[in-house]
Amino acid sequence: MAGLELLSDQGYRLDGRKPSELRKVQARMGIFTRADGSAYIEQGNTKALAVVYGPHEVRGSRSKTLHDRAVINCQYSMATFSTAERKRRPHGDRKSSEMSLHLKQTFEAAILTQLYPRSQIDIYVKILQSDGGNYSACVNAATLAVIDAGIPIRDYVCACSAGFVEDTPLVDLCHAEETGSGTAVALALLPRGGQIALLQMDARLHQDHLDPVMEAAMTACRSLGQVLDGVVRQHLQEVSILTGE
Amino acid sequence: MSLLKLCVPGDRLCGAEDCIPGTGTYLRHGYIFASLAGYVLRKNEGEELPIISVVKETEAQLLPDVGAIVTCKVTSINPRFAKVHVLYVGSTPLKDNFRGTIRKEDVRATEKDKVEMYKSFRPGDIVLAKVISLGDVQSNYLLTTAENELGVVVAHNEAGIQMIPISWCEMQCPHTHVKEFRKVAPVQSEYLQA
Repeated sequence: MAGLELLSDQGYRLDGRKPSELRKVQARMGIFTRADGSAYIEQGNTKALAVVYGPHEVRGSRSKTLHDRAVINCQYSMATFSTAERKRRPHGDRKSSEMSLHLKQTFEAAILTQLYPRSQIDIYVKILQSDGGNYSACVNAATLAVIDAGIPIRDYVCACSAGFVEDTPLVDLCHAEETGSGTAVALALLPRGGQIALLQMDARLHQDHLDPVMEAAMTACRSLGQVLDGVVRQHLQEVSILTGE
Repeated sequence: MSLLKLCVPGDRLCGAEDCIPGTGTYLRHGYIFASLAGYVLRKNEGEELPIISVVKETEAQLLPDVGAIVTCKVTSINPRFAKVHVLYVGSTPLKDNFRGTIRKEDVRATEKDKVEMYKSFRPGDIVLAKVISLGDVQSNYLLTTAENELGVVVAHNEAGIQMIPISWCEMQCPHTHVKEFRKVAPVQSEYLQA
């Protein structure tokens, strides 16, 4: 983009952050009582809502039941008003289907599905406002919702996006950086074990630059893990007070 | 039971040599990790190693397991099996219906070949049963009532009046005194109010 400077000479980004700085993350758990688990998260201006139902009996096609573990069903959608230009198809388009598949693969790696044979876990995620990092916000919101539902999970699944501008890795890209810089890496990490649940990269990047970008994204994921940890512990304290522990 | 300690998924609780993993935990690389957000519970149940588990404040969704006593409602009858909806596992209600099947051979323990389904259950009856298998694709849970304490606990006749059990295989209407056949569970009368 001509005239738009993603990284200034002093090392500041468009919104005043340093390259390794995350946007402000705010999250809440248990916002819907009718769902088994629910969570809401804001990462900067990106707002995501996640609900989890289950484990329950497999509905619809019975033939997709797995005899040894649960089936995970993910649905990703964006509200029509979530982007600057109103979307005509909030779900069902190619990008939403691809994102739903990514979410499904991410949580199949994290949830202990073998504890619930012949059952189904539904995860629905909706983007209310989009400002870059949609996948990260969805994964973080769904992680909180799964923990709220009491489904056993190996570790927090923390996701973050990263980019590369002027030989500097950036983390937690906003919309302008996603469209302007070209390079975008999306990483989902289980921070304590260090396993990568999902890795996605668009556009061109030299192989020598991949390691610093990955390292920056993993560091950001660990920071996000601490934020999610604080949210979960605070929620546990509140629930304890309510139940008179 | 030691002090209650908060833990979240991924927390390392102890080594595999110190404890036995219980519910809400998993074992990996010689350590026990938490898989639920809740409180750590350490119990010594006579073994040399204590069992460590994670207990959640609000109980999560329960699934019927093999050996669980479930309360179900009969939805349809045919000569070979009865279709039921599982409503309770033990005394915990389920949010979603789970479908189950009581086969003709599993209705009672004696004279299995002479069982007649329409003399054992009717649609709408409330039945106590035990899960014997997770089943297959068609039928989900396989249930049995082939024990003395299992069978029909609540039944209504065609007029909608709740009948009283008078023997292990008969129930009677308190108004018209008409008898109907059921595979009856001997439930105390005070429990029927609950």
